[in-house]
Parts: sequence; structure tokens; C-alpha cells
Amino acid sequence: MSLLEVRQLAVAYGDAAAVWDATLQVRPGEVVAVIGPNGAGKSTLVNTIAGLQRSRGGELRFGGVDLCAVAPHLVCRQGIALVPEGRRLFTRMSVEENLEMGAYRGEARRSRAATLERVYELFPILRERRRQLAGSLSGGQQQMVAIGRALMARPKLLLLDEPSLGLAPAVVDQMFEIIRAINGEGVAILLVEQNVVRALEIAARAYVLEEGRTVADGPPAILRQQSRIREAYLGLRDGGDPNP
Amino acid sequence: MPSLTLLGQAVVSGLLAGGIYGLLALGLSLSWGLLRLVNLAHFALALLGAYLTYQLGTSLHAPAWLAVLAIVPAFFVLGMGFHAVFAYFRVTEFASLLVTFGVAVIIESVIQWFWTADYRRYETAYATASLRVGPLFVPTLELLACLTAAVLALATWAWLRFSYVGKALRASAEDPAMAAAFGVNHRRQAFLLSGVSAAYAGIAGAFIALISTLAPAQIWAWLGVVFAVVIIGGLANPIGALLAGLLIGVSESLTMAVVTPAWAPLVSFSVLIVILIARPDRV
Amino acid sequence: MSTPGRRAAVGLLVAALGFAALAVVGLPAFYESFLYMIFSWIALATSWSFLSGYAGYFSFGHGAFFGAGMYTTATLTTVLGLPFLATLPIAGALAAALGAGIGAVVFRVKRLRGELFGLLTLAVGFVLATIVLNTRIDGGPGVYLSSVPLPRLLASPTGTLYLLGLALAVATVGAAYAISHSRLGLGLYAIHDDEDVAEGKGVPTFAYKLLAFALSAGVAGVAGGIHAMYVSYVTVGETFSITVPLYVVLMSVLGGARHWLGPAVGATLIASSLYAFTGGQQALVGRAVVALALIVVILLLPDGVVPTMLARWRRWRPRRLDMAPVLAVPPALAAPPAALACEEVWRAFGGIQALRGVSLRVEPGEIVGLVGPNGSGKTTLINVVSGYYTADRGRVTLGPDTLSARPAHEIAALGIARTYQIPRPFAHFSALEDVALAATFGPARPTPRQARAEAYGWLEFTGLARRATALPHELNLHERKFLELARALAGRPRVILLDEVLSGLNPGEIASAIRLIQQIRAQGVAVLFVEHLMRAVLELCDRVVVLNEGEVIAAGSPRDAMRAERVVEVYLGKARVVA
Repeated sequence: MSLLEVRQLAVAYGDAAAVWDATLQVRPGEVVAVIGPNGAGKSTLVNTIAGLQRSRGGELRFGGVDLCAVAPHLVCRQGIALVPEGRRLFTRMSVEENLEMGAYRGEARRSRAATLERVYELFPILRERRRQLAGSLSGGQQQMVAIGRALMARPKLLLLDEPSLGLAPAVVDQMFEIIRAINGEGVAILLVEQNVVRALEIAARAYVLEEGRTVADGPPAILRQQSRIREAYLGLRDGGDPNP
Repeated sequence: MPSLTLLGQAVVSGLLAGGIYGLLALGLSLSWGLLRLVNLAHFALALLGAYLTYQLGTSLHAPAWLAVLAIVPAFFVLGMGFHAVFAYFRVTEFASLLVTFGVAVIIESVIQWFWTADYRRYETAYATASLRVGPLFVPTLELLACLTAAVLALATWAWLRFSYVGKALRASAEDPAMAAAFGVNHRRQAFLLSGVSAAYAGIAGAFIALISTLAPAQIWAWLGVVFAVVIIGGLANPIGALLAGLLIGVSESLTMAVVTPAWAPLVSFSVLIVILIARPDRV
Repeated sequence: MSTPGRRAAVGLLVAALGFAALAVVGLPAFYESFLYMIFSWIALATSWSFLSGYAGYFSFGHGAFFGAGMYTTATLTTVLGLPFLATLPIAGALAAALGAGIGAVVFRVKRLRGELFGLLTLAVGFVLATIVLNTRIDGGPGVYLSSVPLPRLLASPTGTLYLLGLALAVATVGAAYAISHSRLGLGLYAIHDDEDVAEGKGVPTFAYKLLAFALSAGVAGVAGGIHAMYVSYVTVGETFSITVPLYVVLMSVLGGARHWLGPAVGATLIASSLYAFTGGQQALVGRAVVALALIVVILLLPDGVVPTMLARWRRWRPRRLDMAPVLAVPPALAAPPAALACEEVWRAFGGIQALRGVSLRVEPGEIVGLVGPNGSGKTTLINVVSGYYTADRGRVTLGPDTLSARPAHEIAALGIARTYQIPRPFAHFSALEDVALAATFGPARPTPRQARAEAYGWLEFTGLARRATALPHELNLHERKFLELARALAGRPRVILLDEVLSGLNPGEIASAIRLIQQIRAQGVAVLFVEHLMRAVLELCDRVVVLNEGEVIAAGSPRDAMRAERVVEVYLGKARVVA
């Protein structure tokens, strides 16, 4: 039984199709990566799952519920939380207020204090900075707030869109540690990542998205052997070892 | 150079007048900052509130506090009604300026229809009461208005700062899609805020009825001053609005005392122009 | 000039002569003053639309210029004893200077558009009123002009004012017609829809806005001068009341602020209905009705009465494309060819360094691919080259010319054209008009007819000819992307900057876009090609420059550059460094 089921999803901005035909599934507690070159529609895909974008066709089910029929502000009630690309924090609100916004919906709000404590344990630096405006933090700390905000919703599925983008290498390492830790608590993770090597290290399975379509999927060990990824990213058609 | 007592008196009356500016600016600042609606009708609503207070007081002999109790819920509903129209037609920030301009003119005409263009004065037993602090006079009603402004500003600040609804409003103002992704229903809160903003206009109106002489064209006299206050104070910043109101009030009354009363409008409008040119990003 | 336009101009002239003849024959004084009021409102509303309607800078300060004119005439006639007619040009010039002065400050601040510009102009009116009230210009009690002699153009004084009003109204509507059919008007319309793009296509936006503001204020000044004589008693309260800015906005918006005749129609409708409700309570009802009309129009007919009616008419009787013999081959590009060079270009936003010393060169007839992950600075570089941003350090040159530090419209005129990643067509321009705008402000400076013919040629070249009359919202994404390309070409570029032209296109559309780009290169144009779709980069580019975090990390033939170790790391990520 899969937690998230996406079948032949199509999404468009006006008449500009961004996703034509995306199919993937995530099982409870699993880490799944979506990789593919810029402009392939990865962000559109996760934004649609989170309710930020409406789909134009295909199927989108979460825990058996048809997400296409759920109002955007009610999607998070189902147990989905998004860490969007570029973080999109509420920059004029404090760190703690951002975290509280994550626990806006009913159940999460009731257990807010406990979850907040848990998030501060995960990111001790955020406890120190909790009164500071979110916009004044460094990139890595902002990413922590974005992840913390999503965790505050007590999700069953965490959508992570490019969590390593623009971060220093040491911070990237830390970020992947944290993702692993979150997953260790049983939260399923759908990870969109441009750092293919790192994404494939952490994921149980991965999907390759290209020009709005899922073109390959499978466990990392198998995908690494395919030249498909290298071709999509670098345009190189030759074989060879894609793993530097 | 006027005497120190005169200057002191000018500062006091400036602070008190500034309180009314702050009170008027409060609702405007909220709807502009959090809903991106520039509501010119806010002034007209305040004046309508003033005339209603006057009417209830003179013909039904209802005390002002009773009038406020009637006006505040009525205006709350009215504000939500306005918002229903804005939401239905998806009025943009700029179009809201034109539409509310029209609403203001209609309200002005309605006021003039019922109460004529003649000056009206709500005479009460306590209208002229004042406290004496050393050599300075502090009119009681104006002090009360100023304190109300301060209390409302603080309460609004606390509401936005600490309540979940307030946080959701601020979050939606910055990134509505992300706020919705965490469960915020922006539509419902926009209605609430519009109602609150209109209710504030009603409260301001009641004080205006008690303090000043009423005339329909008063709507336009506030326009520049209060917009200057809103922008100086920072959008959706209740405390800022109050402080900016006090600042403008004092600078106006000092201008009146030192130069001549007629130069006073120049202060607020010049400040508004300078801020718009130098710091347009504040808005 | 289109035939219906010419017909309208002839109609205007006939109407003017008719009204003039009426006056000579003699009208009852009531009708003379009724019509004078309408003429005065026509002049005010129409002149307001020069800046606020065409360019979309809504001003609530028109009353200030009107008032400036009134007080100029009042002061000059009563204090200096100048003849009334001689004061009118002075009133106009003074108001125009005031407008230009305000514009010179305000138009330098990019964010002062929309509601902020409106508020600012409103404040200017109040400041002016305060100054007039408190200085010797008025001093408080107002100025009487009753003893100023009125030249007898006609038997009655009302007849004279009627004629002056008529002359001003006709001149203003005529000017509106001329502006809306000129380069200036075209530029203003483009500013209305997208000022940044207009500047990038060669429209000198600052100068045009200033000119429009000065003209607009000047007409209001003359109208004020005449009106001072009409009311013969000038007070600050009446002159600078909210009435003028309110009604002017109303009339223009009701009639259609973007159409040369719209404000005149709106002024006639509103001024006559205000006259219908005269006296006491009725006037009140009239004002409320006008305000209600404004609300209804904004909500339901945001374009105004005249444009809405015209659109109905056109749907009913579709317009045929009025076209000169069509050029089969698009006009030649790239004369004389020149290379684009960036030398050590730096640019920061706040604390973020978006470009760190980028150097690259694109030769005529060469396609250079600019690739790199999101946020690596590709679009920033395009914005710097096209002049939207200025470089903090470094130099951009086109052949012998230095581009850095020039305004964008000059850079466009020198032969640099760009496309936008998300197409930004002018919302109210048909495909043909959009491309014609770029041709008009391009280096060749064609006549309007030539520009349209040339534009049609480019539409054919990009396969859009049958969509020539379509508005942007009627075009699909692929058509809008090709429209971007067509209008970039219409600027006769020597260098073309393509920002992700292929994103969002389907495979068939991609193939045809690639063919077009190859044809453009064949004409000797230098092409800088930003793209994520790597197979297109490999197919098209002679060389590739790879950016990462604002730095060039590799350059060379596509295959070599994409194989460089740094590039592979940037694209695929680096394995964890084990501590």
C-alpha cells in the first residue's frame, strides 16, 4: 500500500505545460528522490502535491484520498508538508513564528509545544535565534527553519525541494544527516535534489524526470549504471562512468 | 518666538490631535498592508460614524458609548460586505483606490443628503471639560480619544503578534500560497480583517463627533495627513501608525504655534512626498 | 493611419466648425456656458490621459496644474495688468514647467508607479494649495477678476469664453489623436503595458513620460487660465478642491483612458449628467450617481466605454489587415556585424554576489551557449548586457562601442536585443503592433508603414503571420515565445540574447525554434544562448560558457566544457568529503 500515488499527472501554468506525464509512488517511511535537469518540472510536481498548484490531468492520491478534490489550504491536514525551493520563509516574522505557522492546522496546533521542543533539539541554533527575524538568518539556518516549519505540521510525508541549493558543502552534509534523522522517525520523504550523487546516496528509490515526464525509475544502484542521467544533465551521449 | 507655555500647550494639543490621526490610520494601515487594498472609503466611514453618533445623541439622546456599541458591529458587517465585493471582482491594489474613491464620494453625498453641508456640532455636557496639568490644559475627551487610540494600537499589535489569526494574516500578506500550504484560509481572515478595519473607523468617528465640528467635506481634509501617517508608520504596523500620528500631530501644531495655522497642512504633505520619493520601498 | 481614424478626425473637425458657427449665430447664454463647461472638461480629461491614460501613470494632481493656470492668469491680469489672452500661454508654460519639474524628480524613482504615484500627485496638489493660500498669490480672501477686460471675440462675454473653450477642446483632442498615432504615443502605450520591456526595446521612457507630463500639465494650465476668467473670482478652496482630479479620472476611465477620444466622450457624458442634476439636493444625487458609475465601470468595463464599444464593433465586423505589399523575405539583419564582449563583469544584489568577474565574447555569426545551474547568474548577465542592471565593475562592449553605463534604450538602439524567459508581450498590443514597436524604435527608424511591413515580415519568418491581429492573451505559449523572438529580430540586432526560448515547448516546437536560430546566425548575428535543454545546446552552440555562482568555471567546445570535472561536479553533485 503506497502512501502517495501519482499517476500520469499533468500540470500547466496557463497554457505552458510544465509537467506532462509524471508517475511515481512513495510508500510509508520511504525516502524517494526525484532527479532531473533544471526545467524538467520537478518543483512543479512537488508544489502540485502540496496543493500550491492545481493539476490539469492525471491522478493524485494520498493515503487513499484524492488530493485533486481537496482545497489547497486543507491539503496539509492530510499529512503532507512542503519545504519549498528557495525556502519561502515568512521573512518578516520571527523564527519561532515561522515554526508556529507550520503547526497551524488543528491536531498539529494541539501538540505544538512538544513538536517545537523536538525541532529545537534537531536544530539547537534555532532555539538561540528564535526571536530573530527569519529573513536575517544565513542560508543554512533559513533552510533549517523551512524544514522545522514543515516538521511542525507533523507530516506523514515531507516534500523537500532542493534543500541543498546554495548551501556551503559542510552545511549540505549536515542537511543530509538531518534528512536521514527525520526519516529515522518514520516520516516518508520525497526529495527533489540537483545534487544527484547525494540524492542517490540517501534514497531507496529514485525517479528521473525529463521535460515533464518520468523517464526512468528504480533503485540508485541501477540508475547509476544508466547513462540516461548524465545525458539529461550534461547532454553527453557517450557511455562511461557517470559517477565522478 | 512664542512662550514656553504656548509651545508646551502646542505639544499637548499636537499629541492629542495625533491620537485621532493614529486612530484613523490604524484601519487603513491594516487593510493596505495585509490585504493590499487602499481604502479611501475609510475616511468616509469614519465621518459617517461621526454623524451617526451625532444623530443618535441629538435625536434619541443616546449617550456616545451606546452609539459606539451600535455602530461598531454595524460597521463590522459593512466592512465585510465591502470585502465581499472586492473579493468577488478580484479588485487589484490600484483599482481598489478608484473604487473606494467612488464609495467615499457616495458616502459624502449620503451624509450631505441627510445632514446638509452645514456645520454640525454635537454639544455635550462634558465636551469642554479639561484637566489642568501645571500651566497646561488637557481636554478630557481628546485625552480619552488618544488613550483609546493607544489601547487599540497596542491591542491590534498584540493580536497580530501573538494570536494565530494575526500570524496567519501576516504570513498570508507575505506569501499567500505558502500560508495556504500550511492550512491558512486567507479568504476567511480577509473578511475578518476588513470588518475590524471598518469597526475602527466607527470608533474614530464617535470621537470625531464628540471633539470636532462636522462637515461632509471633512473626508478629504484627513486624506493627506492620514496617508502620510500610514506610510511613515509602516504598513500593517499599528504601533508605528500611532507614533507617526503623534509625530505628525505635534509637528503640525508646532507649525501652527510658531508660524501660522494655515501652513500646517504643508508639514504632513511634504513629509509624505519626501518619504514616497526617498523610500518608496517602505510601502 | 487607418481609415476609421481618419474618418474620426474629419468628424472632429466638422463638429468643431459646427459649434463655432453656432456661436457666431448666437446661442442663449445658458447654452453657451453649459457647452463651455463641457469643452473645459473635455480639455482637462483628454490632457490628463496623455500621461495617465496612455502611459498608465494615474495622476490625482491634475487639479494642481489647473489651479496653477488659474492663479497665473489671475495674478498676471490683476497685479501686472497683462491682457487676458497673453496670460494663457504663460499659464500653460508655467503649468508645463511644474509638471516637468515634478516628473524630473519622480520618474527617477522606479517604484513610484500605480497607487504610489497617485498618492504623490495628490499630495503635490495640497502642497501647492497651501503655498498659494499663504503667500501673496492669494493671501486668503481670493482674487477678483471682474474688472479684467475680456477681449470681444464675439458679441457676448459668454460667447467669447465659449469660443476659447471650444478652441482648447478641439486642439487638445486633436493633440490626443496626433499623439496616439505617433512614435510618442506608441512608446507611451508600451510604457503602460510593461515599462521595462519598452525601455529594452528602445523607447526612451524617461524622456517620453516627462514630455507627456509636461504636455498634460500645460493644457490643464491653459484650461485653468480660461476658467479663471469664467468664474472671475478665484479661491483656493474652489480651485484646488478634490473635484477636478476626481472628475478627470472618472471621465477618462468611463470613456476609455487609452483611447484618444475616450476621455472626451466620458467628459461629455458626465458633465452633461452633472448639469442635469443642478441645484441643491439634486446636485448631490448627481455626484453620487457619477461615483456609482465609476465603481460600476471599474468593476465591469475596466477598459472604458469607447474601447469596449469599438471591440464589440470589430467583433461584429472583423477588421481586415491593412497591409502594404508584404515582404517575402525578412529584412537583412546585422549591419555592420559586431562582436559582444564582457570583460570582468561584477554585479551584487545586497550581500549576494551574482556575477564575479564574468568575461566572455560572442563573435558575429557565432552561437555561444551560456549554461549553469539555477541561480548561477545567467539571466543577471543578460540583464547587465541589455542595460536593465548596471555592472558594479567591468565593461561590456559591442564592437567599438562601450555599453556599460548607457541606458537600456540606447543599448537597444545600438543593436542588442533580448528575449524574456517568460514572454512579456505588451498586453494591449496585437502581435503585429508588438513587433512593429520594436521595429519603430530600432536603429533603422522606419516610418509607421514601413515598420508594420517589416513587422509582418518577421511574423512570417517566425510562422506567426496568421496570428498578426491576435492579442497576447489569445496566443498560446509557443506563439508567445516566437513573438518574443520576432520582436527581438525586429530591432535589427547585431547581438541577440536568448533567455531559455525553448523551455515549455514540445519537441516539434523545439525543432522549429532550433531551425530559426540557425537561420538568424546565418545572417551574421552574434547569439548568446541561455538554455537548460542540453541536447539543444549541443546541437546549436559553437562554444559553451559554464557559469556557477557567478563565475565562469569552464569554456570551450560544448563536449569539452561539459566534460570538465568542475562542471560534472556542479551538475551532478560531489560525493561527500569524508572528514
